Amino acid sequence: MHSPTNTALPEPLLALDHIDTFYGAIQVHFDLSLEVGRGEIVCLLGGNASGKSTTMKIILGQVQPKGGTVTFAGEAITGLATPKIIRRGVGSVPEARRLFGAMTVRENLLMGAYLRSDRATVAEDLERTLDLFPRVKQRLDQRAGTLSGGEQQMVAMARALMGRPKLICMDEPTMGLSPLYVERVLELVRDINRAGTTIFMVEQNASLALQIAHRGYVLQTGRVVLTGSAQELLMDPGIRDAYLGGEQAA
Amino acid sequence: MSSWFDYTINGLVVGNIYALLAVGLALIFGVSHLINFAQGSVYSVGAYVGLVCITYLNTPLPLTIAIVLASCGLLGILIERIGLRPLQGRTRIAPLLATIGISLVLDQIVQLVFSAQPRALPSQVPDWRFVIGGGSIGALDLLIAAIGLASAAVLFAFLRFTKLGWAVRATAQDREAAQQMGVDVDRVDSAVFAIASALGGLSGLLVGMYYNNISPAMSFQATLKGIVAQVIGGVGNVPGAIFGSLFLGLTESYGIALFGTSYRNLFAFVILILVLISWPNGLFGGRRSLPPEPLTGTFIAPSRPVLLPFWLVVALVATGLLLPVVVTSPYVIQTLSNAWLYGMLALSLTLVAGTAGQISLGHAALLAIGGYASALLALDLGLSVLVAIPLAGLITGLIGTLLVYPAFGLRGHYVAIATLGIGEIVSLVILNWESLTRGPIGITGIPPLAIGKHDFYSAPAVYWLTFAVLVGLALLQRRLLRSPLGRTLRAIRDDDVAARTYGINPNRYKGLAFAFSGFVAGVSGAITAHLYSYINFETFTSQISVLALTMAILGGLGNVFGAIAAAIALVGLPEIFRVASDYRMLIYGLALLLLIRFRPQGLFGTV
Repeated sequence: MHSPTNTALPEPLLALDHIDTFYGAIQVHFDLSLEVGRGEIVCLLGGNASGKSTTMKIILGQVQPKGGTVTFAGEAITGLATPKIIRRGVGSVPEARRLFGAMTVRENLLMGAYLRSDRATVAEDLERTLDLFPRVKQRLDQRAGTLSGGEQQMVAMARALMGRPKLICMDEPTMGLSPLYVERVLELVRDINRAGTTIFMVEQNASLALQIAHRGYVLQTGRVVLTGSAQELLMDPGIRDAYLGGEQAA
Repeated sequence: MSSWFDYTINGLVVGNIYALLAVGLALIFGVSHLINFAQGSVYSVGAYVGLVCITYLNTPLPLTIAIVLASCGLLGILIERIGLRPLQGRTRIAPLLATIGISLVLDQIVQLVFSAQPRALPSQVPDWRFVIGGGSIGALDLLIAAIGLASAAVLFAFLRFTKLGWAVRATAQDREAAQQMGVDVDRVDSAVFAIASALGGLSGLLVGMYYNNISPAMSFQATLKGIVAQVIGGVGNVPGAIFGSLFLGLTESYGIALFGTSYRNLFAFVILILVLISWPNGLFGGRRSLPPEPLTGTFIAPSRPVLLPFWLVVALVATGLLLPVVVTSPYVIQTLSNAWLYGMLALSLTLVAGTAGQISLGHAALLAIGGYASALLALDLGLSVLVAIPLAGLITGLIGTLLVYPAFGLRGHYVAIATLGIGEIVSLVILNWESLTRGPIGITGIPPLAIGKHDFYSAPAVYWLTFAVLVGLALLQRRLLRSPLGRTLRAIRDDDVAARTYGINPNRYKGLAFAFSGFVAGVSGAITAHLYSYINFETFTSQISVLALTMAILGGLGNVFGAIAAAIALVGLPEIFRVASDYRMLIYGLALLLLIRFRPQGLFGTV
């Protein structure tokens, strides 16, 4: 079992150093730095237009920063094409799930193992993953687009696991889900993490994310304004000003 | 008399040939949201590769097929590299225009190598015929059917059971998510173009053997038929494309049986327009409306237009007026008059495609309407030419707007396809409405340009007239662009949803733009008719539509001065330097490609 740590491990699994990002003339990130240690759950909190989702795209190579470096497992991955980054052991649970709606659930899960060529172990992993998600197992041959939002979120998480990633990036995994599924998703994230996968999670709902995270960063208009352990952040009155919008949270 | 059985067999065979074209188009649209206008060119390349194999290399049929598949597949990869990959992240219409440029280049290369003359493509299939009931079926019919079925089966297996096939489907559904699974989407694009082009080339080979006749001109019609079949089945829908192709083949075949050959294409394009308007997702897709794609119809690169100071405009107009006094060569003067007529067409298109953001690929039809209207008014009603020409302009504005009106709800690619189809319909109606238009014979003895009793025979007289009309129309259009009307049109172009929230009725303004545009093009067509004294349904071909679009883009979409300058550059200069016409089309194609890639705002900037 991991215990939440306040300090990142000596060599983090993922590190963003001094990232500056622009969309045209508009600057999205200002000298953004963050680290995710091996075995951690780290969440990135922030409101609308704080640059959260762009951070995710930077890690996955879908947006290129103008300055700064991204390091994964000790090697620079800045500027690499997305498939090459995925091949190094990064998995993704995209915002709004982004399943392949016209393909079956089984095909979606196997797409998660697209870069693996070991057919036998992929089949084993499929069985093992499905044990984690009994609801998904019942729907294997159904088109993914016909599933409910919560079920789709399960499939998206199972799909990411199928690639045997070292790190899974999740973009707002609880968005739009019923409270029941929100609880379920958070439990699963914790289970996946306990089984050895590092999690980097972008969330708007700070109190939910901090229930399971070890550490967190708070992003405001492209700058990290606060960082600390989950407990520290939950206690910090500043988090309200920085992120929850002051009086609203009170 | 052939029996219905024979017409059915013919319809299915032709449907199979369309299917090989349309399936490729559907795959490409699915993955890249691009309508590949070069598909017909690949088809004609396939036919000519087959010609080389059969007549010069004497290859056996299986080897011929293999060579066609391989060479066209490679060509497809090349098209993707040139036409699509460098344009990623640009407006969706950009790669579409690039494929038009590529198709011009390919068609002209084929024509330069093999000449424009039709060639016989000997069939390598024995001439067996099996008599069944009242009709018969040939060995080639069976071969084509077998190839159609086999291709469909192989394609199905590929998409269903191979890793790359899965990647294709995943990319088609969600490109970004597929990338996040580790799919190299560039490789997927490449593979899809290779498959589509291999099938398209095979289609060309088969059609050549079926009719024992191939020519470079077959390319454009093939593209159109493939697109129609695809639209019927639902754009981007692979099984739909097969269904649409068979439907189209049968409809055409029965149509020929009932009405005759010259109606064949009319059916295709009427079906196209009907399906686009009523079932935009295809006959398979239900009646859902299309997903909104604001901005995808326009090709407006943000830029600062070059503003001409007033004194320069005056100086240019004065130079234009004095030119015939200085330049004595009637050839140069005639060429420039021709450029002024094209300049009017470019003005007309730059308003619709630039200011109003509706990329029209059927603009030559407006010339045809104007030309026929003026010729018939002068000949049949005995109106004086001076009255007939502006009247023809008004008629063109009215008819043009009414024809396009049903397509006002469409956006982006669909506007381009619809205008293309409407343009083809106009020329087919002219061909078939013999009592009014004299049908295939065309109109002869159109009275020359004249004011009162003074005929305009001399080159300078024609020059001054065309120049004066052009300057007048250009000033009018400039005035219009600077008025609130111009601003409203640009607002609709940039975001019609937002424009609507301000209480603007986009259709009314699009109508006004098309009406003015129709008037300008109609006047140009009318003057042309009186100048040529003879026109027929082929005088204003779809190549002119593409040329007009190239001019509008070269000048900077929406840019009045740019349109005229581009007309001089693309029509005047090659003529004055006596570039052979084959090479001229090559230049147009390359110009279009280079512009889209490197200078989408044109020479003088978009407005």
